[in-house]
Amino acid sequence: MKVRNGWLLLVAVVLVVGSVLVGSRREGAEFAGADGQAMEAVATIQPDYQPWFGFVWEPPPEIASGLFALQAALGAGILGYYLGFKRGQARDRRNRPDAGD
Amino acid sequence: MHITEGFLPPLHAAAWTAVSLPFVIAGAYRVNRLMRDQPQTKLLLAASGAFAFVISALKLPSLTGSCSHATGTGLGAILFGPSVMALLGTIVLVFQALLLAHGGLTTLGANVFAMAIVGPWVAYAVLRAGRGLRAPLAPSVFLAAMLGDLTTYLVTAGQLALAFPDPASGIAGSLIKFVGVFAPTQLPLAVVEGLLTVVVVNFLRQYSGDELQVLKFSPETLAAEARS
Repeated sequence: MKVRNGWLLLVAVVLVVGSVLVGSRREGAEFAGADGQAMEAVATIQPDYQPWFGFVWEPPPEIASGLFALQAALGAGILGYYLGFKRGQARDRRNRPDAGD
Repeated sequence: MHITEGFLPPLHAAAWTAVSLPFVIAGAYRVNRLMRDQPQTKLLLAASGAFAFVISALKLPSLTGSCSHATGTGLGAILFGPSVMALLGTIVLVFQALLLAHGGLTTLGANVFAMAIVGPWVAYAVLRAGRGLRAPLAPSVFLAAMLGDLTTYLVTAGQLALAFPDPASGIAGSLIKFVGVFAPTQLPLAVVEGLLTVVVVNFLRQYSGDELQVLKFSPETLAAEARS
């Protein structure tokens, strides 16, 4: 299991890094967000469409990156806590001499 | 798959909100009952929500030279059933709409429908089908998470096509255009999401047997179910 998970993660990393390398060779590649591209497509289909509602609050760009990091950190923190907790629990079970299993 | 604030006409925005609301309420009810009946799975539920949080925060580059993000909703859907993710996915989307100017409140219903309802249901259905066919667990989990991710983006393309039919070629023409924007970017990212979901499930099978047992997720139980 250990080894296989390592390989799976390696494939995932290779895929992401490979994407950067292959993607940046493309003409005009600037890794724009697909969501934004879709909204541009809206503008080509219906040039006169005006968004009728604005953002409640839009963070300044520098702050936005921090908030994205916060979102990732919250997720990774809780996930990491869980994974570590379960590993510790399993180790405790193994080390208990009277463990039935 | 985030439709930007204000980018759905009011009627569409209201309709998608009306469609999604019952699912989110049912999800909240389900989470509540889970906490009461199976409190030992609380931490795993938090971890599943956290997985969606971190995965959907990462904008990953794609082969196409554009970037997008995975959804992370497949994991919770296959562990807890799809309805739970309606609530957890909505929390993610509200966070992004309010704090990150990503998605929006008027488009929340549509985005919830794509990411927190259809994606999880597809992931769940694919996993069940895989178990029914007695396919090995890891490939089933991979396909479930990957297809859940892809379908989320196809739903978004469909929602945009319905709202903005092409003047010449109609809804179908628009759909092709929007799918063309999302699908090539998303494909490699969906594969990454599938791989990461398998990694977490592998870990759970080794260390979280007790919780998987409670959730009737352990391979033995599912295999027995498929046989009967």
